[in-house]
Amino acid sequence: MGHRTGVSQSHDRHTNQWPASPHEATRFILDALPDCTPVEAQSPELDRFSHGEDVPVLLPPELIEGETFRAIHVADPRSRGASGFTAFLDGTQDVRVVNQVFGIPIVWATVSAVIRSRVNRRLVTWSGSAPVVRRGYYIPFRYVDGMRDDLRSHPQVTDTAKADSAGNIPSRHPAALMEAAIQRVQQDRESVEIHLAEEWCAKEDGVLFVDGSITASQRVSTSHRAVGVVKSHRRLYADGDAFRTVVALRAGERSSIFRVAPRSRYPVASWYVRLRPPAGRDALFGLVRVEAAVSGDMSQRADEISRWIMAEGSPLALPDGRWDKMAYGIRDTEEFLRAIS
Amino acid sequence: MTAPLGRVVATERKPNTPHEFHFWTSLDCPVGIGTIVRVDGSHPIDGQIPHIYGIVVEGFSYTDLQSPMHDVLGHDGSPSNAGFAVTERSEIRLYTAAVLRQIPEEPLQPVPMGEVFLAGEEDVATALRMDAYLKDGAHTGIPIGVYRAGATDSVIWLDADFLLGPEAAHLNISGMSGLATKTSAVEWLLSSVFTHFPESKGSIAAVCFNVKGPDLCYLDQPASRLEESDRALYEKMKVEPAPFKKVQYFAPYTSKGFTLNTLRSNEALLHNVTPLTWGLREVLQYAEVLLNKDDLDAKADALIDFIGERVVNRRMEREGPLSRDHTVESFADLEAWFRDLLSGMEKMNTDSWRTHHIATIRKVRNRLSNISTRCAGLVTDSGHVSDLPFGSFEDRAVYVVDVASLEEDAQDLIFARIVSRLREHLERRDLGVKHLIVFVDELNKYAPNDAQDTYVRKMLLDISERGRYLGLVLFSAQQFRSQVHRRVVGNSGTALYGRMDGDELATPGYAVLSPATRTKLATLEKGQLMVRHPHFTQPIFVRFPRPSVLSGREGAEQFPQAADIGIEAALYRSLRTIDPQVTLAWVKDIAWQYDEEDLIEARNATMRERPSNARQFFESRLRKIVPVEKATPERRVSPLRPLPVGDPYES
Repeated sequence: MGHRTGVSQSHDRHTNQWPASPHEATRFILDALPDCTPVEAQSPELDRFSHGEDVPVLLPPELIEGETFRAIHVADPRSRGASGFTAFLDGTQDVRVVNQVFGIPIVWATVSAVIRSRVNRRLVTWSGSAPVVRRGYYIPFRYVDGMRDDLRSHPQVTDTAKADSAGNIPSRHPAALMEAAIQRVQQDRESVEIHLAEEWCAKEDGVLFVDGSITASQRVSTSHRAVGVVKSHRRLYADGDAFRTVVALRAGERSSIFRVAPRSRYPVASWYVRLRPPAGRDALFGLVRVEAAVSGDMSQRADEISRWIMAEGSPLALPDGRWDKMAYGIRDTEEFLRAIS
Repeated sequence: MTAPLGRVVATERKPNTPHEFHFWTSLDCPVGIGTIVRVDGSHPIDGQIPHIYGIVVEGFSYTDLQSPMHDVLGHDGSPSNAGFAVTERSEIRLYTAAVLRQIPEEPLQPVPMGEVFLAGEEDVATALRMDAYLKDGAHTGIPIGVYRAGATDSVIWLDADFLLGPEAAHLNISGMSGLATKTSAVEWLLSSVFTHFPESKGSIAAVCFNVKGPDLCYLDQPASRLEESDRALYEKMKVEPAPFKKVQYFAPYTSKGFTLNTLRSNEALLHNVTPLTWGLREVLQYAEVLLNKDDLDAKADALIDFIGERVVNRRMEREGPLSRDHTVESFADLEAWFRDLLSGMEKMNTDSWRTHHIATIRKVRNRLSNISTRCAGLVTDSGHVSDLPFGSFEDRAVYVVDVASLEEDAQDLIFARIVSRLREHLERRDLGVKHLIVFVDELNKYAPNDAQDTYVRKMLLDISERGRYLGLVLFSAQQFRSQVHRRVVGNSGTALYGRMDGDELATPGYAVLSPATRTKLATLEKGQLMVRHPHFTQPIFVRFPRPSVLSGREGAEQFPQAADIGIEAALYRSLRTIDPQVTLAWVKDIAWQYDEEDLIEARNATMRERPSNARQFFESRLRKIVPVEKATPERRVSPLRPLPVGDPYES
């Protein structure tokens, strides 16, 4: 990191030797923590935690459109309409255990985010704010003895064993510490994404396609210049009869609009859209959940945004495994971040 | 500072080397095959930032698509749907460039990562090492064309030392017929050489063999059309867009001997057309050109040598079988000598004369006598010689020998003798010029790779291998380079390529070129050339202007060939070039009295001597004819006395 012109560092390097790769990170911490040993490959168990996924859950939808949860036809799935999105935002994270100190994992993670705007049908990096790439250590301070002060106070070193608001502290169990580290990495990734999304909403008039939820930011969640598209459905807002409606959505149909207001987040209007025919596939094939700011003409706007998202299905995001739900613009941002981070 | 147009990239699978590197550009970048670029390294080596110059030899374009099937699926199998996609796939323009030069040149390292810039005029000069011979005071550059890329318009110079000797020397041109490559390029290059050849290196002239059609027949006539773009190229390269000022044409007569055997026979153009005729002495030295191996066994060879040394141009007194003295100066004299010798041997009933067997003498007589028939128009029975001005060649003059309409034997004889004479004179330094370019087209015919060894091929090999030491430079051309003798093309320091045939490009000789460069060669426009020169480590593509002389095709239309004419008209046309007072009536008044043979001989003598009073000289060369006197009526003699009446003896 740092070789690429135009990519902003979200930190000031304390030293010139701040690592730029997992390999360098391994060597760096060996010098800073004399008792630690390098980890060449992490165990499958730890690897499982690095994905940081929630437990699948069904939630009842809080309808804000009509009385019943139903399917609404919005577009012919075979037609290729226009799209009102002018840019795409996505973030990535890469988490690795690079060292351990008596069983305590030393995590090294890279989070990055970028907005790619569309100019003449081609995607270029948005000039309003440079791509963000952050690299840092995630270390449970209390379980690691002999940490130097400069490392403790380094802005790119995060303590993963701090007490939460309820006063709970992660145990010494490596999996628990790993889970805590992952959470912090996700928060960091979300923060850089929010930073860019807020910049967009402040500076641009076009609509931003955000990969994932927009509920973490008040400014973004209330702006008509950002739409969140959620591809994963660990939290499915379709309990009861709504479940049948959602899984039975046909390509080009959306669900009724409902309100989503997660805890400690900001409320938005949301609905499901089926982008591709699910015949012969699983129930969630081609299904995305859309989040947008609540507005007066919500039905009309949901129809319009749904058509835009369907239009973004071409070209296909293959070879990405999530191609059924992924817009090509998001694949482009991910490829971009892979190239620079 | 100009903006970079690309960045060097290297991967483990596609690494950069000291001779090749890869870079990507934006999609709208003016880079293509043949573009010269400069890489500025980012880390100094020995305190110097490295600059690498390269020429694009290959290009790649691809998207992030992993399989074509994905695109089909993405557009539901309908190509028309693709146009409606809101986003175009990410696409790359990736180029491979061959290194032309690295600065510093040592240590020679793989090309580093860095920004890539379009080479400017100065960069082009550095990249092609032209800076070494374009220095003030030591400028030996000969412009060959203009390299164009983006906003760069750079003259490409050849080094005169390497084009015309004494270094590499020689030039070879390959290209498909009819696409304005070979002839046009040579005409342009001769103009350029005559303009820019350094005075300090001495004088230079060219001898061109016109071997087909009217290609080189109008070098002294201005081009009928030169477009503004052509004029701009002339101006850029500081060459005057004008025809050659000094051009002399040479052509043998037709077999009848009346008219010159050339497409440049239009009366308006005859002022600088000189007959090319040789006699026995000139031909005998090159007899082996016309005689095949069966003809020329050791015995025959010995007899021909004997005739050349002891018979021709010597007085041979009556002795042995010879019934009279002989002075053999022409084919007619030689035939008389043979006839007398053989007749005498038969009478004496002897089989040999001076160790030469009668059968050998008969064979040599047969073969030599045949030459004047096979090369009629070029070889004269009378021994009359009209030749190139060996010894008085002029600086910056072109001498065109038109052999296009001749039989193969005559072409070979002309080529062999002229080149030999040029070589002899250059060896003695008395040709009149210090450097001489010989242009020969159709090397596929004259120096083929796979045919039996011929005299002409040996001569071409000799020029290409040793000519540069004498100042004799071969400019050669052919359609298929692969089918020309390797040593002829291999000794050509400079090579030009026009549009090439795909089959030809598939031959091993072109394997050193990248597939993209070969594709470009197969699709070159008129007026474009690929240039290889000893200073250039990679071939360069250039544009050259239309020649500033009338093309063969247009010349043939503008100056139609003279119709086949009788002896009187032929005499009139020839003599008028010397004496404008000659009239057709005057010619007719004389011609009816003489045989064609006498008239042609007198004409040839007049053309050779070019006297101030051509009519008087012409008449003096003809035999005197005694005027016919009118017979007076016979006078009757009257009888002395009348016969008596009733004379009994009267019957």
